[in-house]
Amino acid sequence: MTLTLSGISKSFDDFTAVHPLDLTIPEGSFFALLGASGCGKTTTLRMIAGLEEPSAGRILLGDDDITRLPPHKRPVNTVFQNYALFPHLDIAENVAFGLRRRGIKNVRAQVAEMLDLVQLGDLARRRPRQLSGGQQQRVALARALINRPRVLLLDEPLGALDLKLRRQMQLELKRIQTEVGITFVHVTHDQEEAMTMADSVAVMYQGRVEQLGPPADLYENPRSTFVANFLGTSNLVEAKVLAGQDTAGTASAGLRVEVPGADGALRVPPDRCSAGDTEPGAMVLVGIRPEKIALVSAEEAATVPDGHNRLTGRIKDAGYLGVSWQYQVETPAGAELTVYAQNLERDSRLTAGAPVVLHWRPAHTFALDAAQDAAAGEETL
Amino acid sequence: MPAADHPAGPPPSRHPGSPPAASAGPPEKPATGSPKKPKEPQKPEKPPAARSRRSPLRWVRENAVVLAGCAALVYLLLPNLVILLFSFNKPAGRFNYSWQAFSADAWTDPCGVADMCGSLRRSLRIAILATLLTTVFGTLAAFALARYRFRGRSTANALIFLPMAMPEVVMAASLGTLFLNMRVQFGFVTILIAHVMFCLSFVVVAVKARVMSMDPRLEEAARDLYAGPFQTFLRVTLPLAAPGIAAGALLSFALSFDDFIITQFNAGPSTVTFPMFVWGAAQRGVPVQVNVIGSAMFVLAVALVVCGQFVTNRRRKS
Repeated sequence: MTLTLSGISKSFDDFTAVHPLDLTIPEGSFFALLGASGCGKTTTLRMIAGLEEPSAGRILLGDDDITRLPPHKRPVNTVFQNYALFPHLDIAENVAFGLRRRGIKNVRAQVAEMLDLVQLGDLARRRPRQLSGGQQQRVALARALINRPRVLLLDEPLGALDLKLRRQMQLELKRIQTEVGITFVHVTHDQEEAMTMADSVAVMYQGRVEQLGPPADLYENPRSTFVANFLGTSNLVEAKVLAGQDTAGTASAGLRVEVPGADGALRVPPDRCSAGDTEPGAMVLVGIRPEKIALVSAEEAATVPDGHNRLTGRIKDAGYLGVSWQYQVETPAGAELTVYAQNLERDSRLTAGAPVVLHWRPAHTFALDAAQDAAAGEETL
Repeated sequence: MPAADHPAGPPPSRHPGSPPAASAGPPEKPATGSPKKPKEPQKPEKPPAARSRRSPLRWVRENAVVLAGCAALVYLLLPNLVILLFSFNKPAGRFNYSWQAFSADAWTDPCGVADMCGSLRRSLRIAILATLLTTVFGTLAAFALARYRFRGRSTANALIFLPMAMPEVVMAASLGTLFLNMRVQFGFVTILIAHVMFCLSFVVVAVKARVMSMDPRLEEAARDLYAGPFQTFLRVTLPLAAPGIAAGALLSFALSFDDFIITQFNAGPSTVTFPMFVWGAAQRGVPVQVNVIGSAMFVLAVALVVCGQFVTNRRRKS
């Protein structure tokens, strides 16, 4: 059943936690709400659960309006942050809680089956306090899933686990979601978590959805500086739009921009430009992901393929990361660019101070509106 | 012998704390102050003994907490043990203050004294009723004060504290005056009202502390799992608050049962509670049965606490 939020918003006194928001979450999908703390993602989740009443808007489950329904009447269950297991009940009774409240007397078989699904069958008589964080997490999941909700809400369910366990639980959650086929709405501040698990991700920032789409789409073609910086890293450089459109290679017209110090114009494909003003002379932010850039020594500038976007610069710092090299390159464009290079065959001339040429395919370039904060979403963790 | 001569030899005016003296600690002190002659023969043994064994001072320092705890326990329990001992006494006169002979008479006939068991029953009835009423009202008030913001909340908080802070005599006298002016018949009901009034504060404080430390998300989780407001309260809120409520109830039972001052001011001529009976009896000579009741209550209370500890320990282990 499709979950639809239409124009939903929430204000507390003078603070607006969630601005009017429209979201459609298709049945059976794994949907992630991603954002830094305080962006309104948890409030949105609580409104779906019924624990918070929206200030405006409607929530539809299929065709039913559930906006005014109290939480215990919604076919929706939540896995809470820090799990909120009942300390006075044992594991089996925690899991059976929802069934019992709906008047189901014989719960034993279902509870056993559900505990097996989360691999905790032998701990049924323990108390929550006696379990490890990962085990408590599974109990919380079982307690919610046993009710076969139409939608399962997960509020930072892996936040309290250590890194290794978190990786393991990510796969586990994905497996369970595929197995039970229930719609999952997952709130997280961890972009990696959202990218590995979700079918589609909504990136939230200051109470608004910045961008919505499949994870690869968000990463490859960010539409705002926040998304560009929050999901991975981006190099953003201010550039001036040039007159005359770029027609080389593509049927539709792209954008030609000029960065100070560049050898010629940079080209941006038309479908990768989300800047509002693209008249000649306007300023835009040109972006490129660090791993998309190739780095060659200035002596070999001639080897750069024709048609690539290119910039010259000087290596400021070269860091060895094992799996790759990370270069900081100073360019006349003013900004310092980050470049990741696979640790394959390294040119020994690429050391600090060496003049270099950076080049990349125009198809990997994107352009953003220059009116926004270029550093939004950076280093938020 | 030379080692022993050294500390004893110099006159007291020079150095009272030469090395061996310092290591021997407190026992050394009188030696330096008092005449030397009689102490002299003891000296040779002491310093070598203190050096060969671990210094007793150090042992005291390491076990200071245990020692202090034991001392406090003895201080607290000794009166109870004396009461228990004298409940087996066979007093010669009316007063049960000196040990005469062993006898279990009082234990086999605890109600042998006129009016005593009647006053005990009355006290128990008042204590149970007061506990029931205060636990219900106190719990409701504690939830209101802990969970909701309303006008007059801080005033209510302050008023709840007042009966605990105010001298009992003041409270008792003013309550008595109030009943007198309202022409209320003194008796069982006035005692009950007075007890509910002062026990309420303790229940509110105990339950409120518990409620404030409860995770509100647990109730949200219950609501999310199809429990309506009443079910949520019954299945989650109440069990979680239970330890606080139980503590408050026990406290109010104990306070009500042994209250004397407030009861004295608000009792009628024919409503004598157990503490009042004991007070009255103390003027004329305390019967051994009073010791029996006191010891029985003490043993019962200790047994309850030990049982409770045992049960929680077992639950924690399983």
